[in-house]
Amino acid sequence: MTLTTSPAAKPRIDWTRPVLWLFAAVLMLLILLPLSWLAVYAFTDKNRHLTLQNFVTLFSNPDFLDPLLTTAIIAVTSAVICCAIAAPIGWLVSRTDMPGRQIIRALVTASFVTPPFLGAIAWELLAAPNSGLLNQLYRLFAGEDADALFNIYSLTGIIFVISCYTFPFVFVLVANALDTMPGELEDASAILGGNAWTTARRITIPLALPALVAGALIAFLQAMTLFGSPAILALPAGFHTMTTKIWSLFQYPPKLELAAAAAMPLLLLTIPLLQGQKFLLGRRGYSVIGGKYGAPRRVELKGWRLIALGFCLLVLLNPVFLPYLALLNAAFSPNATTLVTPSTLTLHNIVFVFTELSSTQLALKNTVILGTATATIGTILALVIAYVTTRRAIAGHRMLGFLATAPVAVPGIVLGVGLFLSYTRPPFVLYGTLWILLLAFLTINLPSAYQQLQAAFATIHPELEEASRILGATRLQALRQITAPLLRTGVIATWCFIFIGVMRELSAAIVLFTSQTKVLSVLIYDLNEGGDLAAIAVLGIAMLVITFAVVLAVNQIPMSGDNAGAKLRNG
Amino acid sequence: MASVELRGLIKRFGSFVAVDDVSLTIDHGQLVCLLGPSGCGKTTTLRLIAGFLEPSDGEIRVGDRLVSSRTRTLPPEQRNMSMIFQSYALWPHMTVAENIVYGLRLRKADRDTIARKLAAILATTKLEPLAQRYPGELSGGQQQRVALARALIVGPETLLLDEPLSNLDANLREEMRFEIRRLHDEYRYTTVYVTHDQSEAMTTADLIAVMNAGKIDQLGSPEDIYARPESEFVARFIGAANVIKGTARDGTHVEFAGATLQVVGAKLVPGQSAPVAIRQHEIQLAMRAPAAQQNTLKAIVTRQVYLGMNRDYMVETPDGTSLRVSTPTETAVEKGSEVWLTLPPERCRALSR
Repeated sequence: MTLTTSPAAKPRIDWTRPVLWLFAAVLMLLILLPLSWLAVYAFTDKNRHLTLQNFVTLFSNPDFLDPLLTTAIIAVTSAVICCAIAAPIGWLVSRTDMPGRQIIRALVTASFVTPPFLGAIAWELLAAPNSGLLNQLYRLFAGEDADALFNIYSLTGIIFVISCYTFPFVFVLVANALDTMPGELEDASAILGGNAWTTARRITIPLALPALVAGALIAFLQAMTLFGSPAILALPAGFHTMTTKIWSLFQYPPKLELAAAAAMPLLLLTIPLLQGQKFLLGRRGYSVIGGKYGAPRRVELKGWRLIALGFCLLVLLNPVFLPYLALLNAAFSPNATTLVTPSTLTLHNIVFVFTELSSTQLALKNTVILGTATATIGTILALVIAYVTTRRAIAGHRMLGFLATAPVAVPGIVLGVGLFLSYTRPPFVLYGTLWILLLAFLTINLPSAYQQLQAAFATIHPELEEASRILGATRLQALRQITAPLLRTGVIATWCFIFIGVMRELSAAIVLFTSQTKVLSVLIYDLNEGGDLAAIAVLGIAMLVITFAVVLAVNQIPMSGDNAGAKLRNG
Repeated sequence: MASVELRGLIKRFGSFVAVDDVSLTIDHGQLVCLLGPSGCGKTTTLRLIAGFLEPSDGEIRVGDRLVSSRTRTLPPEQRNMSMIFQSYALWPHMTVAENIVYGLRLRKADRDTIARKLAAILATTKLEPLAQRYPGELSGGQQQRVALARALIVGPETLLLDEPLSNLDANLREEMRFEIRRLHDEYRYTTVYVTHDQSEAMTTADLIAVMNAGKIDQLGSPEDIYARPESEFVARFIGAANVIKGTARDGTHVEFAGATLQVVGAKLVPGQSAPVAIRQHEIQLAMRAPAAQQNTLKAIVTRQVYLGMNRDYMVETPDGTSLRVSTPTETAVEKGSEVWLTLPPERCRALSR
């Protein structure tokens, strides 16, 4: 046997460092730059002299204290309501023999993917004091002069609408905890003499509690950082939340320092909330141990089966059935708040929106450009980072992973403010271009894209690649022939979710758009201010149809991740 | 304390019959193993006894109580049983001590009793230093002992074990087998033990019920099952016996590969095909024709492996049947050689199925 050395051993270039630094630099640019400018503005005055005056104003002026209090009330109440609604539905769907469990899950997913600002507008159609469909219905019985039954332009109204589109976050966590909780843990209690109630109280509930509390934190966070729903419902009622206040500081005359300072509490609250959630879900004491577990036994509801289903459907009337009906009605009716009849049915609104409404064309074009660009760049970015972190390809991979998930802790409107401050000055004057929106959408969607692709990578055992290498494939061949086909569905799904994410993003876009860079969500918001509800209904339905088509398509292909709806982030 | 009796137990899942007419009586204080390959219905039978499943037909009695029938199934919590699950099913949010005393608390035992019994069981299972730990912080063997302690402390009428050792490594598994038997002898519960591991069944059981395709194929002491298998399935499943397919000549003789074998066991019908089981180490292998002609036949060596303690041969008889033979290491024969096999008549067991 002769020993052959490879001819002219190539001088190897160590690509790992440049790659690491390149990606680290990109991520820094996306996250650290806007946050740094945010901090600078928050702690300085107009001449960039260090001051705490902004915070003094913030915490002494009732103009700011009231929104702070309102936001706290909204967030706490919504979180409590979400838990009270999501926990029983999660349990019914996951642990009982209630009929139609899959349908209920699908409907919850539907409310999950409904953009909250669209839901808020739909509820305007339903429960505006004078024109709301439900109030009109009520007057049919109570008489023409009766007071409105519902007033959506109120604190209660806002809490209600926010809860409608936030409870799915709690539901997903609770249902997931119950789905993965081994049935044997309950069986063990039963065989030792625990009846159904004891077992629920001592075993099931304590085990699901961390997920519920984590869900409550997420619901709190959502309700606190949401812009669309409060802007649509609180401003007409004459009060502000923190997010709408920040937005109003951008109106003429802009008070950027105060806006930056007002963004700080949101940012500083988000970080511990997310930490708390992570801690609760990851506690060792609660992680499931041992070997094989059987599927859980379902609780037999017997006579309560239909009552339980009725309860679920009744709850889902609010985020799904009623708003969708109101939107459909508005889209096909000559008047948005008159019930459509076969004789008044018209396609005029649809024709108007897509052919005559001048801003539609531009907004659609911008949305498609931004969606495609963000989805493509974001997927590639997430793909490379996920590969590097799961395969530990280069030193420092942990930092990359951390940077990629960090934007989760930055609420959309806070990021919007930061980006505005960063890119309205030389050398990067991006304000007024689509680039600044691209940066915003990229940053907002990166964490979920990264997590999704990382999960996809984690399911592909490195030995699959190694088996290909040992049979003679090069690293690139192995990637192309083995890893790429296995990842394809994950990549497609990620791309689609980023696209949807861009389409529904409002809270960052609202501070970054200019008349030439309007996107669909901003257009809908603008149309609402102009009272053009029929056009909104048409655009909103188009948006929902695209979203459902994508979610459905992605659920059809076998996915390595879990619930597809869980990958979305509300803006 | 009481016996457990299964009568004509049937469990169907849709059109699939998981448990097919199983009848079995387990006397008080006996340890019975349900032994069989995966999918044979043994775990389903256990879950029927526990009350997690309702029988499609038949009944289960504990002592003189009817606990399961087609019309009425007593829920698990009212059966005064304990169970050790394959996954142990330890509650991750409770400490070891809390896990163990759970059943006593439900039985409204007073504080002193709980403390006394806890101390005793912790000592028996050697868990004293771990009482305040959480299950997630324990090794597999320690978790297993917690599961045992939790099941035993309530003093159940009946103890059920579902493959309790299958998640342990080999050394620990061997140790825990004797531990389970020791604890059984100490407390003498009526015990049903499900396993697919025959040596586990051999070490622990008073009585083994070998199950196949939802039925009990053979019920007997470990010695019965091993030395006197009645069916081809039991002969192959327990100790991997050779089964040769001959033809019965009369009540005690079988024609096979041109030889006549005298056999014991099942009653033969002349002219019918007759399966005969013989274990690999009971066949004698010689290079020369033995003096006694009885029960001998010629074969060719097709494989020979040195295993340290013995040699493992694969030989082929003139009719093409392959037999496995285990010999002392001194008996060394090349592959391809012709050898003589002696099948002692008292070791050739005619099988009824």
